[in-house]
Amino acid sequence: MNRKENSRRIDLSVVVPLYNEEENVNILHERIFSVLDKIDKTYEIVYVDDGSSDRTYPLLKKIHDESKYVKVIKFRGNFGQSAAMSAGFDAAQGDVVVAMDGDLQNDPVDIPRMLDKLEEGYDLVSGWRKNRKDKLIIRKIPSKIANKIICSVTRVKLHDTGCSLKAFRSEIIKRINLYGELHRFIPALARIEGARISEMVVSHHSRKYGESKYNITRTFRVITDLTAMNLFMKYLKNPLRFFGRIGVLFIFFGIISSLWILYRIYLFDKPLIDINILLTSVFLFIATGFQFIVWGLLADLIVKTGKRKSLYLTEEKPINGKSFMKTK
Amino acid sequence: MVNLMELKTVAQKEVKMDDTAREKSLLEISAIIAVRNMENEIEEYYHSLKLILDDTGKSYEIILVDDASDDHTYGKMVKMAKGDKRLHLIKMRSPFGESSAFEAGFKLSCGEHIIFYTARVRPNAKQLPSFLKKLDEGYDLVVGWRSPRSDPGINQIISRAFNFIVDKLSNLNLHDVNSGIFVTRRDVLDNLQIYGGLNRFIPVIAQKQGYKIVEEKIEQLKGSFEKSWFLSEYLRRMLDILTVIFLTKYSKKPIHFLGFLGGILTVVGGIIDLYLFFYRILGFGSIAGRPLLLLGALLLVIGVQMIAMGLIGEMIIFTHAGDIKEYNIEEILE
Repeated sequence: MNRKENSRRIDLSVVVPLYNEEENVNILHERIFSVLDKIDKTYEIVYVDDGSSDRTYPLLKKIHDESKYVKVIKFRGNFGQSAAMSAGFDAAQGDVVVAMDGDLQNDPVDIPRMLDKLEEGYDLVSGWRKNRKDKLIIRKIPSKIANKIICSVTRVKLHDTGCSLKAFRSEIIKRINLYGELHRFIPALARIEGARISEMVVSHHSRKYGESKYNITRTFRVITDLTAMNLFMKYLKNPLRFFGRIGVLFIFFGIISSLWILYRIYLFDKPLIDINILLTSVFLFIATGFQFIVWGLLADLIVKTGKRKSLYLTEEKPINGKSFMKTK
Repeated sequence: MVNLMELKTVAQKEVKMDDTAREKSLLEISAIIAVRNMENEIEEYYHSLKLILDDTGKSYEIILVDDASDDHTYGKMVKMAKGDKRLHLIKMRSPFGESSAFEAGFKLSCGEHIIFYTARVRPNAKQLPSFLKKLDEGYDLVVGWRSPRSDPGINQIISRAFNFIVDKLSNLNLHDVNSGIFVTRRDVLDNLQIYGGLNRFIPVIAQKQGYKIVEEKIEQLKGSFEKSWFLSEYLRRMLDILTVIFLTKYSKKPIHFLGFLGGILTVVGGIIDLYLFFYRILGFGSIAGRPLLLLGALLLVIGVQMIAMGLIGEMIIFTHAGDIKEYNIEEILE
């Protein structure tokens, strides 16, 4: 579609990852279409089929044939929500990108209001499912807890980071690389890129058809991802500070212990053999401390030679200068 | 299409091909065969392969990659190439191994379907057409299953044990993952991003990318085989298994793997040292002479190091994430 009309500038892209949603696809498209058709903006809808095993893809194909401005991406296998979203974001050409779930729990009716909110000067508007229509114990409570933890670690204050309905300015979302299960941390990743983040209450419906596909079940993975996120948020520009601190701590601990040993040997005349093992562990700590410092240097090197050359993002347009906001 | 300059650095000299003709038309089949020290058999083997490919009625090329044989293999190959325009030769400067041979051969090739194997495996070329048929049926990758096998017992035992473990780890359901016989399409290989030595794991990677994989039996011809007696062979296999685990489960998230291992070690070490700490504080006796203290400290240190390494790995991936594509697109409708 876009190739044919190269001149068409797209204001809004709606990205929807889908996995086995055959019952929902048609209703979903109708809803999105009816909303987008009313607003005075050029738009496209990007559906990403994450290797569905049911009739999701044939239905999408039919939608693509019958309606305008629809792009469909089909995956070879099931690669997960992060991969599906990142493929959708890569393909999206709009100045504003809206992501939402394909399970009809998000309501596209909220999209125009989110766009208004972006206009107020934000780069990311996240949905907040204030009246969540989900089962309390298996969905709502774990999600609340996860939200609390994610917020406190990443220090992006949102009521509901888990809500899939989000709107971004494209220059932000194009800079974010989603892999693994990083889709959970989109607000934090956006914050790393310098985004101004806001949220708004969105409507939420209970699930009519099909099962919930993406669950937070792998707690350990989330915890390790969080650790890494925390590190990235604070030290991505300068990892030496992180590793160096730990290294110095180790060395400090080692030096204190060795002073203690010397003190015991020379003032109390204890035989060295008595504290031999203590001595060995002191060496271990000092060696580790130095290793950490060296790793910090290594990490510094990695970050600075990496593809992400600029670790900052400038305001709209520099005055009297060329725009270097353009990504890629 | 084929970057000659690049090839010259990879394979060095003696790239015989009719450039213009090759660049204009894509062939249907490229057979890439890695050869090493087979002066007595190479001619016969090549002729039987040629007959089979002629029979398919498709356009084809044969690329023989000589992995720096010590004997007269290459000389014989050059003689063969004089009478056959569809035969292309690559000679490695020194033995770089099967993976590099494959890489060099693949870069030179221009067929739509790729057949690859190492000549020392001695598959019966007569069965290759049935592999190609599988591709037409819609499969993306056909892996050879050596059956019946005729290599020495010791090789079979090692390779069976290896296959068993890889199969369990990867849910591939293949009998002979490491046969080294692959038939696939060019676009599949282009998509897989195989680098340094990973060609042994093509089925594992392809499965992760969502390609349809099937196996096909192929008879192993009689002949002389190198026996895998060497310790290095076992070590290589063990490291290979580690690679498979990493590829299938943690390739993009080193922190999940290293953080898990490191976390366990740190916790165990911490518990040991805490126990000793209270032991000393509560006055049960001296701990300085106890080896347990050292064990605790060691575990703690290794654990913390592993976690730190995981974080560094994570940083590498995060800063290079622009190059990572964790998905494989089958079709785009625009």
